[in-house]
Amino acid sequence: MRHGLFAAALAACLLAGVPAGAQEKSGSKPGFTLPPGSAKILLIRPSITVGAQSTGGMFEPNADWTAQARDNLGAALAVAQQGLGNAVIVAEEPIGPAATTLAGYRALFSVLADSVIRYQFFPGNRLPTKKRKGAFKWTMGPGVAEIAKGTGCDYALFIFDEDQYGSTGRKLLQVFAAMAYVTVKSGEHRGYAGLVDLRSGDLVWLNADQQMGGDVRTADGAQKRVRQLLENFPGSTPTAAPAAR
Amino acid sequence: MTLRKAAPVLALTALLLSGPPAHAGNTLIAKAQAVAVAKSALTITPDREWNKMGARPGRNSETWTLDGDGLNDVTFYGGIETDRTLFREVNKRVKPLPRFSATMLLPDIPALLENSYRIALATPLMTIESVAPCTFAGAKGVTFTYRFTRPDEEVRRKGEGYAAIIAGKLYMATFEAPDIYYYDRDIASFRALAASARIGATPNP
Repeated sequence: MRHGLFAAALAACLLAGVPAGAQEKSGSKPGFTLPPGSAKILLIRPSITVGAQSTGGMFEPNADWTAQARDNLGAALAVAQQGLGNAVIVAEEPIGPAATTLAGYRALFSVLADSVIRYQFFPGNRLPTKKRKGAFKWTMGPGVAEIAKGTGCDYALFIFDEDQYGSTGRKLLQVFAAMAYVTVKSGEHRGYAGLVDLRSGDLVWLNADQQMGGDVRTADGAQKRVRQLLENFPGSTPTAAPAAR
Repeated sequence: MTLRKAAPVLALTALLLSGPPAHAGNTLIAKAQAVAVAKSALTITPDREWNKMGARPGRNSETWTLDGDGLNDVTFYGGIETDRTLFREVNKRVKPLPRFSATMLLPDIPALLENSYRIALATPLMTIESVAPCTFAGAKGVTFTYRFTRPDEEVRRKGEGYAAIIAGKLYMATFEAPDIYYYDRDIASFRALAASARIGATPNP
């Protein structure tokens, strides 16, 4: 229950001016390496939501913006995946019970990534059991292999993106608040990319940022966002980033 | 209102909108040591390490977790008195939370939790699935299972709870986790906590 009551409070605190440098942005399972050409990666259709942030900070989804972002991020990912160092297969959208299973794991990834950010990447809120040296122990459980059945893939790449663009009212509030030396963020741009070992279900790499750059409603902005999401992807070559341009 | 006069008002609004400061102070709960929980006489002896969240859902409650409250959430309610809510009001004037009463029967407790969740989480997707008698904290109690989904998430969560009314006060422990993997993995650890619940046992120093 605590999750429900305090999620908003913590999110507000994160948005209310915690120095960006205070938060780690990526992590990987100790000892994990992914040499180029050693594995097949299943790219799960990204979860993308785009909308406006009201004056009070509420999220109002926008179907047109979301559709634009889906197209732009899809095109940018198609280019970027060629530089990831390993074969990438785009997962087909299943139907029937398999669709329910995939939706469940996609939702679980979102919660898992959120937990890593709050309780491992954010030092001020880190859980004692996650503070130990080399501790990066997060999993979706071995059942996740079900979503890659018959593909021969070794890893699944999950991508989550949520963009809230500040409304005019929110921007005005930001200006007036600044006059009183109060920090109010206008807009929120969260993105996570996570690689999951399909044999164990373990999260082996996560890149997450609560303040990503690039306007995903434009092709150029989407390319920038994808570069950020896949920054330091295991096994990728340094030239992978420019390849997304 | 001039701009100069409006600024403080808007700044106050901004402060209110920006929420309270981050609740730091998550602490380690060591295994095999009895600890008093939820600022009450309820003691628990864990058989493994847990993390106690720095933030409390209410005055007489506290949350433990293994990987974060979104993945595994154990909440203890310690000595909720008559006319008290289970956790803090979300919007007392418009949607007040239901209140505990010492005159409630044990089977009323799952419904109290259900109605509190429906209001606090603003979700109609909360159902009690089973209710059965049990022993909790050495007293006659009730155990129940439930499911819920938050309106802003697609994750389906399952829960299990144990509750007893002792000396007119409600003592309860609940566990909830995503129905994929986490619930099944961690339910045994929660049941071990619930089985260790005692009232008035002196915790180790």
